[in-house]
Amino acid sequence: MAYHFQFPRSTQGRLVLLTLFCLIACVAQAATVFAVEKLTVYSGRSERLIKPVLDEFTSKTGIQVDLLSSGTTELVNRLKAEGDRTPADLFLTNDAGSLEQARAAGILRPLNMREVDRAIPPQFRAPDNAWIGLSGRFWIIVYNTALVKPDELKSLLDLADPKWKGKLAIPNAGSEYLQAGVSVIRASYGDARTKEFLVGLKDNAGGQVYQKSSQIVEAVAKGQASLGIVNHYYIYRHLAAQPTAPIAAFMPDQQESGMGAIMNVAGVGIVRSTKHLESAKLLVEFLVAQAGQKLFADLDKEYPLHPEVKADPALVERKNFRAAQVPLTRLAELREPTLTLIEQVGLR
Amino acid sequence: MTTLRAHLSSPLQLVTLASAALILLPLGYVTSQALSADPAVWSRLWTTRIPELLTNTIWLSASVACLTLLLGVSTAWLVTRIEFAGRRLWEGALVLPLAMPTYVLAYIYSYLLGFGGPVEHVWQLIAGPQARVFSPQSYVGATLVMTLDTFPFVYLLSRSALLNLNVSFEEVSRASGISRLKTLWLVTLPLMRPSIAAGLALVILYVVSDFGAVSLLRYQTLTYAVFQQMTGRSDNTAASILSLLLVGLALLFLVTERWFRHRSRFYQTTGRYRRPERHRFGWLGTTLVTGYLALVVGASFGLPAYLLVIWSLSPEAQATIDNRFFGFLWNSGFLAACAATGGVLIGLPLAYMANRRPSWLNLGCLQAAYAGYVLPGPVAALAVLVLCLNLTPFLYGSVLVLIVAYVIHFLPAGLQSLEPALQQITPNLEEVARTLGLGVRQTWQRVTLPLMRNGFIVAWVLMFLQTMKELPATLLLRPVGFDTLAIRVWMEASEEYYQLAAPSALLIVLLGLPTLLLLLSKDWRAA
Repeated sequence: MAYHFQFPRSTQGRLVLLTLFCLIACVAQAATVFAVEKLTVYSGRSERLIKPVLDEFTSKTGIQVDLLSSGTTELVNRLKAEGDRTPADLFLTNDAGSLEQARAAGILRPLNMREVDRAIPPQFRAPDNAWIGLSGRFWIIVYNTALVKPDELKSLLDLADPKWKGKLAIPNAGSEYLQAGVSVIRASYGDARTKEFLVGLKDNAGGQVYQKSSQIVEAVAKGQASLGIVNHYYIYRHLAAQPTAPIAAFMPDQQESGMGAIMNVAGVGIVRSTKHLESAKLLVEFLVAQAGQKLFADLDKEYPLHPEVKADPALVERKNFRAAQVPLTRLAELREPTLTLIEQVGLR
Repeated sequence: MTTLRAHLSSPLQLVTLASAALILLPLGYVTSQALSADPAVWSRLWTTRIPELLTNTIWLSASVACLTLLLGVSTAWLVTRIEFAGRRLWEGALVLPLAMPTYVLAYIYSYLLGFGGPVEHVWQLIAGPQARVFSPQSYVGATLVMTLDTFPFVYLLSRSALLNLNVSFEEVSRASGISRLKTLWLVTLPLMRPSIAAGLALVILYVVSDFGAVSLLRYQTLTYAVFQQMTGRSDNTAASILSLLLVGLALLFLVTERWFRHRSRFYQTTGRYRRPERHRFGWLGTTLVTGYLALVVGASFGLPAYLLVIWSLSPEAQATIDNRFFGFLWNSGFLAACAATGGVLIGLPLAYMANRRPSWLNLGCLQAAYAGYVLPGPVAALAVLVLCLNLTPFLYGSVLVLIVAYVIHFLPAGLQSLEPALQQITPNLEEVARTLGLGVRQTWQRVTLPLMRNGFIVAWVLMFLQTMKELPATLLLRPVGFDTLAIRVWMEASEEYYQLAAPSALLIVLLGLPTLLLLLSKDWRAA
């Protein structure tokens, strides 16, 4: 006997049906999550920079990766709130300070992996390997070659000089690069000098406060701003796409007694409560191995941390400049007072 | 006492109370968090951020209000008092901007007016190679975008006021030899005042609670600052404090709007004796009027829509239309369907009890449900987040939390159409059904529900479409793998990948068009 499904006539019946439909959809959505071996990655890096790398991992191992891209601090807050119930297996982000904070909050899992010890020098990872640096980036000056001559530039701190008023583009106060950069300046020169610097920065930037580093590079390339402070790889990514753009990178604070360029790393940590430890380790292994490190160098124009992997030839060679002597692990403890200082100055 | 017990005994009553609690609890938590904050945080915010944020928010609202007043009233007057070729077409077209979410319009204008953008090129041809147009990332830019997006509120209200006015007043004035413009100034506008004021209050409420445009145009308002505090700091105290201020500000405008709407009843004349006679314009007049309307509609809808289509057809954009894209579409639809269904299920008992048993308790619950009006997206997200962390931490990061935030945020829009639908059913019908021997449940099934079906559907569709384009709460609360179309637009647009953002944006606009039909027919308030 054929079974005829009859659509309920009464409104109440339809309502019940609709609710049922939604429930089924909910369950179906949940079911797909558990069907195949899958890793969930919380990523504070721009999706454009990290997705190609993760796609490469998926095509190599067959392990699917679910990506939640969001702000770094937002994700740390989220991981703290979710505790052991978090769906995340790994936390990947652009700032060592945030990674160290996550480690201190007990979110990340200490790792004992020979592959990591061999590939990444110890100053670029947590002592217990709860987070592991993957690629290095420097907070440097991008300038428009038609508007600024490189000999006008020396230190980041000079950007507070009134002569750059209306010509400077800076990231917004929520940017972890800015926070980390200010922390390093505080550690090198003290709070009073840093505050003076920030006040000048705020005045000079005016309305040119951007959410994304790529926007700053774009603005400098168009001449809307003469110079800006960004992570180095945004400059080289822009130049790779548009080789004729009138921009160049300046590595600041290399003068004698200067603090050196401000370095930060993007890194990854395995979330303590992960249920997919083996796959998560596979991903870490993939990221620190030469092949993975080469992806960061080629696609993203970052400095790979693996000593045997070369950076993109367009970049200033790593051995030709100095980095600031503030250990990455200190970025976390420096952060809260830095935020207060930033707020006091009233940076947006 | 007995009445109270009788009240509490009915299951429907319990449902009503639970729904009201669901809405009030989050707000209560945020308030208490803000009030119990360390005074040092308060004073730090007062000395640094709050003055700037308050002035920015108020200035933006004020200038948008002035401009929407001009645009809205003038366009409404033209399409109701002047007869020209294509009048009916323009009458409908003037609502179209409401289908553009503010963040879509904002990103299109940051391209158009941006440094080295098309407008600047044209301007440099006229004014010399060094000429610059104003930056869209500024007070002027934010004002322009918000004005173009919200003037239809004033237009719709003014139009219906003009259509419902008793034309005799105007005719008397004209018969006494007063010119057409002077009549407008001395008679028509004063009569329209309550409707205009209600429209303006609505515009201001919208501006105050907008997140999309101000975040893309980097204009610091309270709503944007709440979002920034939530994403940039490791505790939510500062965000709660700013939220409280924002809720206070929004409440002020909501009360104003209610007050004007209430007053406007005095001006409604009961019977309209005939249609207003429309003055016919010659070819010159028609050209001028058409030119003006085309400029307004073109700037607010035509040109942006054209750009979206062109960008969507570009090869870069076409490459993004893959399985992932359809996944985003499915996520948007799924979340919106859940939120709309949840909203109807929660709104129905609230509206029913308030109408059929209007006790103080039930009316209070209904009013509580309207709290969503004063909870801008980031604040609703913050409220739900704080509640969830305190009461049900195991739900954090699940779809349910996001859906609760949507329901709280959009329930007022749904209630706007559920309530009248219920009011229109006279209780007599239900009573007749009961005397004819139907039980309570059967009466509900066979009489009440079928009669209010339309209100039901309208409420569902409205909540569905609003959820579809919601941005800040989704950004803050979405679970893994729940990126929606709106999120994609925002992510691509905030890195200025205009083409890549276009397909999602276009789809959101297209899906928003059906709401406009509903708006034109009756429920204009809900957009």
